Amino acid sequence: MERLAIRASRPSIFCSLPSLHGGSHRRPLRDGFLTLPTSSNAVDNPKLVVKTSSFHPVSAQASLTAFSETNVKEERINGDKKPENIMWHESSICRCDRQQLLQQKGCVIWITGLSGSGKSTVACALSKALFERGKLTYTLDGDNVRHGLNRDLTFKAEDRTENIRRIGEVAKLFADVGVICIASLISPYRRDRDECRSLLPEGDFVEVFMDVPLSVCESRDPKGLYKLARAGKIKGFTGIDDPYEAPLNCEVVLKHTGDDDSCSPRQMAENIISYLQDKGYLEG
Amino acid sequence: MSTNIFWQESPIGNTERQKLLNQKGCVVWITGLSGSGKSTLACSLSRELYTRGKLSYILDGDNLRHGLNKDLGFKAEDRVENIRRVGEVAKLFADAGLICVASLISPYRKDRDACREMMQGSSFIEVYMNMSLQLCEARDPKGLYKLARAGKIKGFTGIDDPYESPLNCEIELKEKEGECPSPVAMAEEVISYLEAKGFLQNQ
Repeated sequence: MERLAIRASRPSIFCSLPSLHGGSHRRPLRDGFLTLPTSSNAVDNPKLVVKTSSFHPVSAQASLTAFSETNVKEERINGDKKPENIMWHESSICRCDRQQLLQQKGCVIWITGLSGSGKSTVACALSKALFERGKLTYTLDGDNVRHGLNRDLTFKAEDRTENIRRIGEVAKLFADVGVICIASLISPYRRDRDECRSLLPEGDFVEVFMDVPLSVCESRDPKGLYKLARAGKIKGFTGIDDPYEAPLNCEVVLKHTGDDDSCSPRQMAENIISYLQDKGYLEG
Repeated sequence: MSTNIFWQESPIGNTERQKLLNQKGCVVWITGLSGSGKSTLACSLSRELYTRGKLSYILDGDNLRHGLNKDLGFKAEDRVENIRRVGEVAKLFADAGLICVASLISPYRKDRDACREMMQGSSFIEVYMNMSLQLCEARDPKGLYKLARAGKIKGFTGIDDPYESPLNCEIELKEKEGECPSPVAMAEEVISYLEAKGFLQNQ
């Protein structure tokens, strides 16, 4: 079997050979050497499809043929193959390219819990702690999205579902970019959160439950909503006259212990960061 | 004593993200007839930006309709809503510091201008793919012109629905002596604009 070694610069080389079952895509991180098996069987009709960024030369090792953007059409594989077997394709930038650029993997941190449980506070601390580590995040907050993308939605049941669906879809796009997208919403129904989970590849949806008793949330009442709900001025308020369905199987639980040191926003952020680190999201 | 001291984390905003990414977020809105080369330019632009170490993302009319906009059809009000939502998402992306490349026919001036309004003015860069209908129809990459001419699709832009060209776009790309410039050449033109306006650095 003849071997063809290609030295290529980023981002990738694609070699299509029937013997490689439809194609083999290799991605050198830097200039490097790839060895691609070729067949000496004349029937095989191999194609070398070189996908690389414009004007980056692709040259072969030592005794083998050199390919570059300008001469790739004239070069031959194995000496007797026709030049039209060599096709030039422009590659599009994909998720792993962006991961490489950002040195992180995109995912969605979905922070769920009662109003006043500290979701926004943790989101803020998390975003800051990740920034200090050079990581790019973006926070989708139930409140600010309702002023833009979701401004056409009300608080009726079907609109609440749609609110969450759209946020899930946008979070998915952010994760595809490579951003660590923090979604911070009450999102009280298990079914709606699970739907969002199903939009993403396995592992990329990190559900964080703010496990804080109603009494503590109500005593904080940062937006005065519990008071209004208790006075009957808001109907269907989660925790008062609408249920909150706690996650059954979330990735991180942040439990309120009453101890300020162990459950400061910074500490809770660090708990989430440890999880992300363990799962490899903080590297390219 | 310590309970009186509240530690408020300052939020990470636009400025911090710009510093991290060494670029300024913006929206490059590529508009034009079907087959004018919007996706090809978007792809080329994204690649050229990547080689310069810049983070971009393509929002394509077609792929959004399979996710965020899957509940929308092609009636007039759904088309308007499609563009509105793409605009809102593009705005979020720009706020996140990304160079968001939106690539959609977006035939009506009113809808594109509404998206421009949504952004903070200077971050909306309208790129008009001013290619002739003849050129686009000759390419017909998705076979849609053929179907439209045969009456199998109604309300197809350029055939039986109007395309309202921009009156005041930032960049206009057109055929030169009957030849369409290469995707890389067109991408370079957009990049020169972005560079001149300071989007490819952190100020």
